[in-house]
This record gives sequence, C-alpha cells and structure tokens, in this order.
Amino acid sequence: MPDAADQPSQALEAIGLTKRYGRLTAVEDLSFSVAPGEIVGFLGPNGAGKSTTLRILAGRLLASSGRATVWGESVALNPAGAKRHLAYMPENNPLPEDLRVREYLELRARIKGVDEDTVGLRVDQVMHDCDLRDRATMLIAHLSKGFRQRVGIADALLAHPSVILLDEPTIGLDPHQILGIRDLLRSLRGKMAVLISSHILPEVEQVCDRVIILNRGRIVAQGRTEDLRRELLPAPAHHVVAACALAELATAARALDAAASCRELGDEGAGWRRFEVALPPGSPARDRLLAGCVSAGLRVREVAEVSAGLEDIFLAATRRDTQEARG
Amino acid sequence: MRTFRVLLAHELRSAWLSWTTWASWALFLSLLGTIHWYAVLACSRTPMPWTPAEAVFRWFPLPLLCILPLLTMRTFAEERRSGTLGALLTTPASAWSVVAAKFVCIWSTWVVFWASFAIFPAIAGQALGDSADPRLLDPVTLGGGVAFIALSGMLHVAIGLLCSSRTRSPGLAALMTFIGLLVLTVSGGLLDALPSDGWEWLGWLKQPADHLRTVGHLEDFASGIVDTRPIVLYLTGCGLCLGLTVINIEAAD
Repeated sequence: MPDAADQPSQALEAIGLTKRYGRLTAVEDLSFSVAPGEIVGFLGPNGAGKSTTLRILAGRLLASSGRATVWGESVALNPAGAKRHLAYMPENNPLPEDLRVREYLELRARIKGVDEDTVGLRVDQVMHDCDLRDRATMLIAHLSKGFRQRVGIADALLAHPSVILLDEPTIGLDPHQILGIRDLLRSLRGKMAVLISSHILPEVEQVCDRVIILNRGRIVAQGRTEDLRRELLPAPAHHVVAACALAELATAARALDAAASCRELGDEGAGWRRFEVALPPGSPARDRLLAGCVSAGLRVREVAEVSAGLEDIFLAATRRDTQEARG
Repeated sequence: MRTFRVLLAHELRSAWLSWTTWASWALFLSLLGTIHWYAVLACSRTPMPWTPAEAVFRWFPLPLLCILPLLTMRTFAEERRSGTLGALLTTPASAWSVVAAKFVCIWSTWVVFWASFAIFPAIAGQALGDSADPRLLDPVTLGGGVAFIALSGMLHVAIGLLCSSRTRSPGLAALMTFIGLLVLTVSGGLLDALPSDGWEWLGWLKQPADHLRTVGHLEDFASGIVDTRPIVLYLTGCGLCLGLTVINIEAAD
C-alpha cells in the first residue's frame, strides 16, 4: 500500500468510457470512481458490460473513447504505471494447471516486482490470508473450484496493489466457500480499493460500501444502498398476511390510497395468504394500513413493513432504465 | 529486465519439464542419427565429396519441418486457449518481455538439439578408431552448420511463435508453422527453378531467388564463408515476426 502522502483522491476513475464493436455498443459513457480503501459492487444482468468495463480498466481492452485512471495513472497512456497499482482477477480465473500453488504464487510475485528477498514471506502471508497453506504443494489442476478462486485472490493480493478488480469472484462456489471469500473481501476494506463485478446480489449487499448498477452498457444507478433505496423505492412495501381474496385486500388498500397496488406472494396454509401491498410515497404507514384492513372486515394476522433489498433496488433501476428506453 | 529473466527462467523450466520437449528431442536425434548412419555407410563404400556431417546438415529441412512446429505450437496458442496469457498481460510484464522470453527459450532449446547432434560424429569417430576419416569431426563443418542453424533458427522460431500467437489451437499453430517454414525453405529453390532464361520478364526474380536459397546459405556457412546478406535476411525477418507476434498478443483477448 503506497504512503498516504502519495494517495490520490480516487483510486480508480472512469470518465466517459465507451466501447464499441462495430455497430454494437458494449458500454456507453460510463463515469464512476472508487475511493482508496472502498469496496464497490459492480452489478448488472448478463451482457450489461461489466466484464468489458473491467477489461478496459485492467488494460486488456482499449476503450473507443473516454479515460480510465488507476491510482492517478492513465490506463491507456501509461499502462505499465497503471498495472503496478492494479490486480485483476478475470472471470473463471485462468490458472496454469501444471504448477503447484506455491510455485505459481512465487512466480506471480516475481513478475509483479515483489522484492526477491521477501517473495517467500509475502507468499506465506497471502496463503495464510486465503487459507491456502494446506494446499501449498498441490498441483493447481487438482484444486477444487473454491480453492482455485482463493489462489486467484491470493495472486491479486500479492504485490499490495492499491486497486483490485474481481470479476465474479464467487461464481460456481458452494455456500461455505462463498462465506469464506466474503470474509476475505471484507478484510480488505480500508486497505485497498476493490471493484467487484457480480450478479449475485446478496453477496454484494453484504460486502460492498457502494454499488454501481449497469444495464445495457450504461450506468442506471450508483450510490450507497440506502441512498438508492430512497431514490428508487421511496415507499416501503408492506407484507400482509390475511384470510381474504386479493381483490378484497386491494379494495381495502385503495380506500386508503387510490394508487395502492397489491399482489399475492403465496399461500400460508389454513386459509391464510401472504400479500405485498405497495403504497405511493406519503401514503398511510403500517398502523393505518392495519386499521384500514380491519375496518374493511378482513381477518388480518400480520402487517409488516419490508425494507427493499438490493435485489428490489436492482430490479427497480433496470426497470426504470428499460421504461425510459421505450419512451 | 528482471521480468524478462523471471519469465525466461519459468519458460525454460516449463519446457524442460515437459514430456513433449524430451519426446521431440528423442525424435530429432533418431532422425539425425539415422541420416548420419546412412551417410557414414555411403562414405565407407565409396569415397564421397562430402562428409557425413555435411549430409546431415543438407537434410536440415526435415527436422525443421517435423520438429520445430512441435516446439513452438503451444507457446501462445495454449496460453490463449486457457486464458493465462491475458492474465499475465494484466501484470507489469510487457508483451515484449513475454515474447522475448518464449523466443529465447525455444531458440536455445533448438540450438541445444542441434548441438547434441555432435554426439553422432563423435561416436562414429570413436568406433572407427584410427581408421576414421579426420573429416568426420571437422570443426569448420560442425561449427559452421550449427552457426547457420542458430542464425536461421531465429527466423524459423519467430515464424513458429507468430503462427502460435494467431490461434488458440496448438494443432492449427503447428500446421501453420509447417506451411510457413515449408514456403520459406523451398521458395528460393522454386524461384531458382523457374525458366527465367526463357522468360525474360521473370529475370528480375533471379536475384531474390538467390538471396532466399536456404541450402545455399547453409553450404556457405558449412564451408566457413560468412556472407552478411543472409545474416541481414534472418535477423530482419526474425525482428519482423517477433514484432507482429507482440501486436497479436496485445490485441488478443
């Protein structure tokens, strides 16, 4: 990690990044930044342009226009300078099958310019951090998917980079492995800037300080989850468990606010059903909704305010973008 | 420079721990040993104007076409297929250092293969004892031949690397290298064989044909004649192919 005195205001910055393949625009006018020590999630459906953006930031792809800087160094004009501050783990994490874990990490440490005297120590340290010590002498070809991902992350950490780009780091892992990698990523907060591309939303929600949501090659929302929740889903949804039909509940809700909408979520058994009631901003809150249902003569077992998760925010952001595109 | 050294050490280690290198070497030595054996037999029956070592060097297109593609085919094609090349290029290692390390590794392996051919004249000399023709181990022929192989090998290896950088399939890379080397090796002879005396408009081809005659270059080197024109040809060709390889791998994703 470089000295605080050398630290730029932004660890990673993209300004107006655009990548076109002939007539196809993969990413368009992307502008965002990641502060030193910040963990940012890069979300988007398949084909949204996440991997393309990461490849541009890693210097593996030239942008058609725009500018990207890593720790103040231009990725296009000074790729060697930018790469000294950057580590990139691509999707599917390609590794040489014929090397042992320790051999591979030592090789990568030397290529990345780790001081020859400290290569062994540094490799020991990252193997400890990534829980790879028991696998040090194993051939990479014999590692499970989870341990291969760990080797990729260990490689990314080797040279104390200022910025780490991780493309789908937990794809294909089992829940235990995901938990392990999630803890590892959390431990990086404050030490290095991390940009994680993923479409596994709970993982991003639990690890990241901020999210950037991409849809059809454009940023459709970015910010802290709470801010996005306020912006995109200003009215909290309510879950109502009642012994009635959907139409009856909808009538009761519309008596409180004509713009209210309801949908059935599932059968709870013994005649009880779970519904979701969405009320516009400024509409009655939980207590008035409960009172409205009771006064309409409905049998209600539960009324609960449900905070929108990242999944809802993501869906709202991409839906808004799609609606805007359709005009 | 440190990155180059690290990459070269890794390449050499990988090459010499790979069974394909040892199998290629075994195939190479059996080919050259067989040619040398028949050349020694022929010389023992009738006095020949050439030595067995010269005969082997004249057959150099055979190992060149059969063995060199096996050495170069996996260099970039395999790494492009597995994605490790892309991952390597996101580190501070430059494309030039990656290409240079692979080039020096394969080229030095190729020179070691050819240098090891000297064991056959040595064995023949040992077996024949005092009755052996002193020309069997003629240092000018052996040194000149290996020097030619080392020089021309620069271009040949660079062609192999260029072909390997163009595809993700090692098999296809080997085929492309074979065709490239075949064209380079026979083009001088073919151009020379054209009836340029009869067809005046072909007269301009005589000089380039003469420059491209690989076997002619070998004969000059094996006779101790150092002509700078083939040196320039092989070095500039090598530089051009390596430059194109760098462009290929920088563009490949």
